[in-house]
Amino acid sequence: MTMTNGTDGNERKVSSLGELSRNVAPPRDLWPSIAAQISANAPAAPLASERRRLRPTGMQWAALAAVVSALAVGVWLGRSVLPVGSSAPAVVAQEALNRRAAENGALSRPATEGIPAASQPQGVDPNSLPASFVTDPRYTMQRAALIRGLEAQLKTLPPDTQQKVSTSLATIRTSIQDLQDAIGRDPANALLQELLVNSYQDEMRVLTAVHEAGGVSGGI
Amino acid sequence: MMTAVAGPGGEIGWEGALIQRARRGDSHAFERLYREYSGRIFGLCLRMTRDPATAEDCVQEAFINAWRALDRFETRSAFGTWMHRIAVNVVLARRRRASWGNEMTLDPEVLEAASDWSFDTPVEESEIEEAIARLPDGARDVLVLSGIYGYSHIETAQMLGIAEGTCKAQLHRARKLLAERLNVGLR
Repeated sequence: MTMTNGTDGNERKVSSLGELSRNVAPPRDLWPSIAAQISANAPAAPLASERRRLRPTGMQWAALAAVVSALAVGVWLGRSVLPVGSSAPAVVAQEALNRRAAENGALSRPATEGIPAASQPQGVDPNSLPASFVTDPRYTMQRAALIRGLEAQLKTLPPDTQQKVSTSLATIRTSIQDLQDAIGRDPANALLQELLVNSYQDEMRVLTAVHEAGGVSGGI
Repeated sequence: MMTAVAGPGGEIGWEGALIQRARRGDSHAFERLYREYSGRIFGLCLRMTRDPATAEDCVQEAFINAWRALDRFETRSAFGTWMHRIAVNVVLARRRRASWGNEMTLDPEVLEAASDWSFDTPVEESEIEEAIARLPDGARDVLVLSGIYGYSHIETAQMLGIAEGTCKAQLHRARKLLAERLNVGLR
């Protein structure tokens, strides 16, 4: 076997890839640029605190469990009772959200993408969804109709269920507000945008479940 | 290197404490994590991108992404591995955006089982680095992660989003090309 000789006699010799140094010091200190970026954007702490606010604890766990079961029953009722081809509000909302997201192309982006490196200008990612993205007329009309009928539908449900639904909706709406605030501070954050879309969808699912359960079975 | 200290609930490393502080918004703690890992991350990015300026951008983007995602980091896993995953994602995303990537073409011969290898005769480090830099993207990525940073085939495949079999084939291909270019034998 032959081997080519290196030109630099002082160069370290290695006999396996594993001997190559894993550490290669950057030619310059990159921390100042990183520090500028992380201080210009929403820091980790507020995001963490927002999540803690959103994280269910105690009574909220019960509400969360209730809304999950309500969603399951709602979906089951929707699939069992609604005629095929009907435009259930949640489906309409989902379509509207998907269409809007597809137009913006933001939901398909991983959360780790779209964050500018030091060589890129700071600012709003043009692909990001704006905080007020839910402007589709069909979605808006369906949501308004469901909210108008919510009180009447709730009255057909048992008191404890009414309480669970109200708590769940309040939690979801607090989440939406928190997420909108966070997106206002960090408009290019794809994760926050995705969470916001999910929260709007959750709200529509609860409203739809109440609508269907109240009208069909009288209980969730 | 950071050292670990023993706590009543088990070993709690300085690294874990720094991560907790960074999660609470302490950028100084995060800077210490950067100081600890920037060399490894830059080395990885440089070998994957072959361009120091691009590698610098990737390092910055990786640490910014990590800062934003600290809440999702599970402390029972290694921070270094987590950072590597983020860095690999950043490099691959930039490569996709820039359409750097070469299509992976696998010769039938590279589909044979890969064997452990080492150079029979020591060669200059710079020669190996240059030869690695000339490898096709797919083969180089696998060689860097698996051969230099010691990740298993499964871990490497997961990081790169490829099948384990493809990972093995690419590693074999990389070793073969590397040996040819360095004109050394494989064991």
